[in-house]
Amino acid sequence: MATQHRPFSRTRSWGATLPVLLICASIAVGVAGLLPLVQSSGVTTTGGRIWQLEQERSDWQARLQEQEVQVARLGSLERVDKEARERLKMVPAKEVHYITVDVPGPAPNRVPSRFVEDEAKQPDTGQSLWEEIASWIPVP
Amino acid sequence: MPVPRKRPNTYAWRIWTVIGVIGIGAGVVTLRLIQLQIIDHSQYAEQARQNHVSQIAVADRRGALLDRNGYPLAASEDSYNVMVERGAWENPADALSAANKLSGITGVPAAEMLDIVDTVDVYEVPVAKNLDFEQATAVRDLDLDGVRLLEGAKRVYPEGNLASHLLGFVGQDGRGLTGLEADMNSELGGAEGTLTFERDGLGRELAIGDRSETPALPGSDIVLTIDRYIQRLAEQELDKIIKERSAQGGSIIVVQPKTGEVLAMVSRPGFDLSKPDTSDESKQALYRNRAITDTYEPGSVFKLFTTSAALDMGKVAPDTTWYDSGVVKVDGWAIRNWDFSANGTQTVQQFLSKSLNTGAAWLAGLCGPDAFYDYVHRFGFGAPTNSGLSGEVEGKVRTPQNDPGWRSVDAATNSFGQGISVTPLQVAMALSAIANGGTLMKPQFVKEIIGPMGTQPVEPQAVRQVISPEAARTLLDMMGVVVDGMSNYIRVNGYNVGGKSGTANITSENGGYKGGAYISSFAGVAPLNDPQLAILVKIDEPKDVPWGTVVAAPSFGRIAEKALAYMKVPPTEPALVKGVQ
Repeated sequence: MATQHRPFSRTRSWGATLPVLLICASIAVGVAGLLPLVQSSGVTTTGGRIWQLEQERSDWQARLQEQEVQVARLGSLERVDKEARERLKMVPAKEVHYITVDVPGPAPNRVPSRFVEDEAKQPDTGQSLWEEIASWIPVP
Repeated sequence: MPVPRKRPNTYAWRIWTVIGVIGIGAGVVTLRLIQLQIIDHSQYAEQARQNHVSQIAVADRRGALLDRNGYPLAASEDSYNVMVERGAWENPADALSAANKLSGITGVPAAEMLDIVDTVDVYEVPVAKNLDFEQATAVRDLDLDGVRLLEGAKRVYPEGNLASHLLGFVGQDGRGLTGLEADMNSELGGAEGTLTFERDGLGRELAIGDRSETPALPGSDIVLTIDRYIQRLAEQELDKIIKERSAQGGSIIVVQPKTGEVLAMVSRPGFDLSKPDTSDESKQALYRNRAITDTYEPGSVFKLFTTSAALDMGKVAPDTTWYDSGVVKVDGWAIRNWDFSANGTQTVQQFLSKSLNTGAAWLAGLCGPDAFYDYVHRFGFGAPTNSGLSGEVEGKVRTPQNDPGWRSVDAATNSFGQGISVTPLQVAMALSAIANGGTLMKPQFVKEIIGPMGTQPVEPQAVRQVISPEAARTLLDMMGVVVDGMSNYIRVNGYNVGGKSGTANITSENGGYKGGAYISSFAGVAPLNDPQLAILVKIDEPKDVPWGTVVAAPSFGRIAEKALAYMKVPPTEPALVKGVQ
């Protein structure tokens, strides 16, 4: 009986698990089939986001350009002269006195500034984050 | 019943005919496919790619032209054109509604936009141009069907028309047409890149299509040697004199003698930089930078160079005397003084102060024609200054070597600046050589080029030593004495200055000289002890009074006084300095 029972039992066990396996396999295949779609969707979303960010960057650059031109217009000699005469009621000097000042004048700001290096920018130490953390550890 | 025996053969023949036709057809199709798919594959693949892939040139921002202190004289900013697809505005009600919305932002009347769309027979037309960023954003937010923004750039001039001839202007394609915009177009324009993208049936970029870009290189900013303050000073002064004297035009050039840097260069008549009309032939002459393109006879200003030659050769000293009988005869021609005077025994200093033509002819005779013309050429006359500006001419210096028709009287008349043609820039640079210890510098308009790869400074270049430093110093002192005699016309408070005036005839197109027309000029240096400025003022055809001393010299004085104070050059007279802080 025991020799008969064992194969029967094995067959019944396979019979119960095969559909499950097939369903799992189908689901796996289905999910695997969906993966490229998910991936494609992710790429599309990321691409759209990049495009949006590029658009934003472009907008900010355009704004910056306009501001630079506006600064230049406001600093033009014609406008400064007009403001001095009309708003501040200044008049040309009739007598000029000279005073020697032993200090160099400030360097003028350059506009547009796209090629001018940011002086406030911290110099690059060339260390990675981990190197910096490691440098905090007191090593004898 | 006879049985037709040949029926099977006929049947077979027909079958084979059909098979043959099909076979040939298939063969033809196969060969055609081989041709399309294999032999001409690349050609058709390229055509297919072009049908759904667009490649456009992209340009980065054009560089700016800055003055020597970094103030922009010409810069670029984004501008936008509103483009409308004609098909989208076919429905009159929808078109009117969209046009009204756009009109509120752009300021272009709706009727005008509708008219443009109706009358122009192209797929897409611009209905509003040169919008700024805020306007463009508002249009974009409307999200109207068939309406899109086309991005471009426009040139703006924060200082207005300052240095218009020198800067020049760009065409609608953004490329320089005249002036430095054209001469330095490759530096200002950068390098074009390409944008490749997949497009839809209407030519619009697919949001998720393939896209690749070779980025464009931005144009470099060019820092000029021009100083906006001194340039404006010179322009205001020239405009004032032209108006006061009802003159035809003129030029003023201000040079820093030690470096050859041109601080100001202005010519009149001028033009509006923001609205150059290249289609109007009659206005073409306005775009000419007359300081380098037009020649003139310099008149008595040239006596400076004749005297320089004689001093440098050791032929004379300031107190050397000669007898002025009022006339010098050369080749049968009588050369007289401008006022027909006869002054008797005179020193070289007196000749220069009184601007005697007879004295100049005497000095040229002392030098001899070969040496005299050698000095003329060494001062830079008769050759372009190599300023780097297009359109520069070399002038005309006739010598025994280059003109068989040359006669001795030519050297005599050339010695006082007649019969010789020069450009204002040549005179300014030759004057600078005297102010620079006798060293002629190359005129410099660009101080540095600031680009994405870094900053390239442009160094001053010495051309040659024309006269000795001693001769140059002697001449400067003589020029100071000349100006001392013009105190009614030149007042430069606190500084010693020197110079020489000139009043020259103008050649007519028919030969000879125009009656009653003169060029008044003054070439001066300031301050005399350590020259920082060499200034040429040239006024074309002033009315009533032609004399350079009266017309041009006062302008030199006003420019020198203000420019020296602006440049923080300490005054020569110490009493004016109130103290040290």
